[in-house]
Amino acid sequence: MAKSLLIISRQSPWSGPSAREALDIALAGGAFDLPLGMLFLDDGVLQLLPSQSASLLQQKDITANLQALSMFGVEDLFACHTSLAERGMLPNELSIEPLHVLRDQEIAALIDRYDQVITL
Amino acid sequence: MSTLHVLSHSPFADSRLSSCLRVLGHEDAILLCGDATYAVTASTAARQALDAKADSLKLFILEEDAKARNLVLPDWVSRVDYPGFVELSVQYDKVNTWL
Amino acid sequence: MKFAIALYSPAHAPSSRRALLFARAVLAAGHEIVRLFFYQDGVHSASANIVTPQDELDVPAQWRDFVTNNQLDGVVCIAAALRRGVLNGEEAERYSRPAANLYAPWELSGLGQLHDSVQAADRLICFGGP
Repeated sequence: MAKSLLIISRQSPWSGPSAREALDIALAGGAFDLPLGMLFLDDGVLQLLPSQSASLLQQKDITANLQALSMFGVEDLFACHTSLAERGMLPNELSIEPLHVLRDQEIAALIDRYDQVITL
Repeated sequence: MSTLHVLSHSPFADSRLSSCLRVLGHEDAILLCGDATYAVTASTAARQALDAKADSLKLFILEEDAKARNLVLPDWVSRVDYPGFVELSVQYDKVNTWL
Repeated sequence: MKFAIALYSPAHAPSSRRALLFARAVLAAGHEIVRLFFYQDGVHSASANIVTPQDELDVPAQWRDFVTNNQLDGVVCIAAALRRGVLNGEEAERYSRPAANLYAPWELSGLGQLHDSVQAADRLICFGGP
């Protein structure tokens, strides 16, 4: 049985390539049909804000690729409730779905469920 | 399942330690290395946050970083060298480095 | 046990040296390293162009020697490398860049190699940041 991998993405999409490079790990794994999950934590939840205009900064918009996750078979998507609340974000106003919003102890349980984890 | 969380960022300038403590599992451990070792400094919020978990948290510190910084360690923190770090990575089911 | 080690930081970051010392300890303990995978700024740890002052530790040279002497699989992520200007001869030619700075023992490959090492190894250890 394939080992499962949880990718925890903690950076804003505006702070450099980290958000993009976390997503690339997920998309590559999805392309190989591997069991993956992705958790948005801390500033990572900023990737989930709707109505972003990356082109105004001459950057590629990450939203389309986030929405492509499910097409690549990566359907286990999670966001941290505390991180959302800290940033004034509401769970029902996020740009991708379905997405499970988790409390802190649920995140501990989530990490436990996966064989490996990468936090970037 | 148990996870060894590895931190290397200073706790004063960064939120990784506080986020890690929020999502820590009951069987999990933390290895402090680099500037994260400053978290054991007395009379700091970071140290208080660690002390609050002293009953349940297994806390390790990379010895070379603690020594280089001349840190005074609480007695409930275990020092590890690199062979010890490797042993921990075997002992825990997985390692989660907060990059 | 089988280890996969992923590095996300450049040679001047303390975490690059820390990863190297950890990797040495892994082999010294009798374990196996299935792959070293350099991603994000870790691609710079494989650069042949880093010039370290004489009185400092030459981390890229030590990584190179470690991989060579132990015949390990040292992979640098091609997408991360191109973005950061770490190119082997083939890529330098493909993109008409004036120079290459990635040589043996390092190989350029995709994220599939990271996933392959996660599947093959018992433990994945990542190093990055300070």
